[in-house]
Amino acid sequence: MQDFNQQASGVRAVHDTSSGLSAGFARGNPPDLGCLNYNYEIVRFQERGAFSDLADLAGEARIAPSIQDLIDQYPTYPGRTSVIPYSMMAAAVLYNEEIFAEHDLSIPTTYSEFLEVCGALEDAGVTPIYSTYADPWTVAQGLVDYSVGGRLDVAEFFEQLRAQGADAGPDAPVSFSRTLREPLEQMLEIAAFSQPGAASRGYGDGNVGFARGDAAMYLQGPWALGEIATINPDARIGIFPLPMTEDPEDLKVRVNLDLALWVPEASNAQEPARELLRYLITPEIADAYNQDNLAFGVREDAPAVQDARLQDLQGFVDRAAFYQGVSQAIPRTIPFENYAQGIVTGQSLEATLRTLDEDWARLARRSETEA
Amino acid sequence: MTTATTPPRTAEAPTGVSPRSRPAPRRRPRTDRVYLWFLLPTLVLFTLSITMPAAMGIFYSFTDSVGFGEFNFVGLNNYLVMFSDPAILSSYGFTIGVALCTVILVNVVALTLAIGLTSKIRAKTALRTIFVMPMVVSGIIIAFVFQFIFANTVPATAQALQLGVLEESILADPDLAWISIVLVTAWQAVPQAMLIYIAGLMTVPRDVYEASAIDGASAWKQLRSITLPLISGFVLINVIIGFKDFLGTYEIIVGLTDGGPGTSTRSVAMTIFSGFDNGDYAYQMANSTIFFLITLTIALIQLRLTRGNARI
Repeated sequence: MQDFNQQASGVRAVHDTSSGLSAGFARGNPPDLGCLNYNYEIVRFQERGAFSDLADLAGEARIAPSIQDLIDQYPTYPGRTSVIPYSMMAAAVLYNEEIFAEHDLSIPTTYSEFLEVCGALEDAGVTPIYSTYADPWTVAQGLVDYSVGGRLDVAEFFEQLRAQGADAGPDAPVSFSRTLREPLEQMLEIAAFSQPGAASRGYGDGNVGFARGDAAMYLQGPWALGEIATINPDARIGIFPLPMTEDPEDLKVRVNLDLALWVPEASNAQEPARELLRYLITPEIADAYNQDNLAFGVREDAPAVQDARLQDLQGFVDRAAFYQGVSQAIPRTIPFENYAQGIVTGQSLEATLRTLDEDWARLARRSETEA
Repeated sequence: MTTATTPPRTAEAPTGVSPRSRPAPRRRPRTDRVYLWFLLPTLVLFTLSITMPAAMGIFYSFTDSVGFGEFNFVGLNNYLVMFSDPAILSSYGFTIGVALCTVILVNVVALTLAIGLTSKIRAKTALRTIFVMPMVVSGIIIAFVFQFIFANTVPATAQALQLGVLEESILADPDLAWISIVLVTAWQAVPQAMLIYIAGLMTVPRDVYEASAIDGASAWKQLRSITLPLISGFVLINVIIGFKDFLGTYEIIVGLTDGGPGTSTRSVAMTIFSGFDNGDYAYQMANSTIFFLITLTIALIQLRLTRGNARI
């Protein structure tokens, strides 16, 4: 930021770290340049054309096509490049290399191997998985997303679901009840290998517990690595994708666009904002940022990650063997994370999926009457 | 006919009173302009920060606005959908249930403490100060502290004592998590209710107790037949104000359970708030309009009842 200010004449960029994005848009006073997590909150601005067209800059950004697809999996504004991806995070199962070595376990590549590993750990008196049900997002982004993403094509599922419009529901040809049931049943099998009392443990507890070696595996993203390293600098952590089928070729990792750039239509400083954007996407700046933050670059020629723990995932990223989590494609009006928490803490899977289908259909009906 | 029974509507002074001692006929005193100036800042602030946003919110509840950009009018659609939305209906059920339980708990505890703290005991002032402390701590801090207690301390203690029941945190149990919310909300709300009760108990004249003691009334009888009837106005205020406040419980739930496990502890306020970030602005505005009408009704009932009953 300081570098940019020194180079650019007449413009002073200020880093605004405040949240309250909705309020900013509601007041007609959003930030001039957004550089934020690409999630459903952003999608709904994008969908309604709140972002200006960045098509001319997209060429300069040289986004890898597989990563551009991630943007297009969500509802976009037709004929417009609303956001430019900046940084991608890849998440999978974190595991304690020492515990695995101690018990002579190798990384599982099929679902049955995975269950065997869990069984072996349990027999040896080691908790296989540290779970943190008290924080609903951890359940949704970890257990649920990995289980579903490892089994089916998430993007395709949502495309079909959206195509059904208001005809969606528990009994529709494509529904949460039909499609997610099996992966989530598998998820419950996996979740059963969690430590006792997982229901009252949160994200912070999980980082501490996993860093201390209380469990062999932890279903969290690379964002947890920093904290884990602070708690136990000697912890040797590796990462592998959660196998959900019997075919090692099916292995995939969960990704999300941790940062994406956009310039609101309502900005009154679009030119300087685009200038700053152009500066941010220069390879030196973007690559340095992504290395520092354990993230993957989004350019076609982005360098591979340097971090040893993440290098195992590079191959999956290169092959585009990745998916965006199912939890990230559900409008936040539906309390999906809470539903996920409910399922792992003993509520009926079938009833929860039915509720989810009904919520989805209600939302679809509502937006249809509104349109 | 009726003229015979109604007294003459004349301003004639009754006989026997000398005109001199009669107070001069007074016109309605004119309010000094200065007082209006005192009112002005509050009036302006209130209008700008409460009335206007509320009116705008009601306006948006008839649209499909997501909080920014263009919107269309959808009439009563939001309201119609709302009444068939199980998520919203269950949030009302939960909120009202919790508010009722909390109000009962708060008033029982607060009245007990108030009676204790107005009796002749040692260190009364010190104890009052201690009991009032929860009032000055921010709700979210209380919630996080209790979250730790419920998630760690209670299960650990229960395990040490082999109690069985409490060994699993009640926050993790969809059927019991609400109890933690009632307890913590009550813990925070008791002091205020207690202060109102202490003030109420001080209005009861000592001599009625003395008189009843002479008549041989037991302490329990005194409480039931003297104290409670004489402070009934205060009970009413505490119950109604408390109920109204507890309906809006937000930060304690966010800190304790964040609406979970599952959706078992999602309050109306949380549901409404979720609309701001999730593009459900207009829909949740409809929800908050209904919620506003409910609290308004309670407020009106309170005004009405306290006008007749509790003259404090």
